[in-house]
Amino acid sequence: MLVDILEWNGVATWSWDVPSEEVCGICRVSFDATCSNCKIPGDQCPLVVGECTHRFHMHCIVKWLEIETSKNLCPMCRRSFKAVHGEKQLGGSQVLSYIESFNFEG
Amino acid sequence: MSTPARRRLMRDLKVDPPDGVSASPLTDNVMIWNAIIIGPADTPFEDGTFRLSINFDEQYPNKPPQVKFLSTMFHPNVYASGELCLDILQNRWSPTFDVASILTSVQSLLNDPNISSPANVEAANLYKDHTSQYAKRVRETVEKSWADDLMDNEDDDEMEE
Repeated sequence: MLVDILEWNGVATWSWDVPSEEVCGICRVSFDATCSNCKIPGDQCPLVVGECTHRFHMHCIVKWLEIETSKNLCPMCRRSFKAVHGEKQLGGSQVLSYIESFNFEG
Repeated sequence: MSTPARRRLMRDLKVDPPDGVSASPLTDNVMIWNAIIIGPADTPFEDGTFRLSINFDEQYPNKPPQVKFLSTMFHPNVYASGELCLDILQNRWSPTFDVASILTSVQSLLNDPNISSPANVEAANLYKDHTSQYAKRVRETVEKSWADDLMDNEDDDEMEE
């Protein structure tokens, strides 16, 4: 029997490459769920890893770093928070501008 | 209404506080918590039932809550108003702290005061130079803390009527 495929739908899932029981230290919600400001998990609510290896929902760490009293310190180890993004390393206000450069409209 | 601060506090509710500490939000307002710290054993504070209020605002956990003793305290780092001087509630605050870790810090502050910046100078001086007098003054607040509990129970009785 010859079948003509007229249409097919591919479906895939993904999750962050972190232990499933690990939660964001700021909002205490799983990385595969959203930060406490977002409603839909996924690309629009990513996580950010610091040079110090501590990770947070991007929105959570940005909210913290925006506050003057944070002194740009990692909430976990109090080292200066520098986000690692692929090969690029960003620090201080660069983290913010990098994050602002995100196109949330997709 | 659910807000980030309220959602975080609902999660704090699921974290068991340390031994000798209990805390719960008001039934109608998760932004205000009442807590009791039992004075640690082998300290002048032993068996005291010290009551605190913890007031959160919508900036939590990026800003610390206001923590205040409701019980009368005699401690180098507690002001007459009940407000306390504790670095992690001020310039060493971190958004990774929660209700349980705040109360753990306050509990350990009881027998490990920071004398360099006293909120109660008399308590600081007695702590340094007249240990037995210091202990006596603290014991008075321990007994007073029990009386506060009795008053609470009377209030409860009235409400039941």
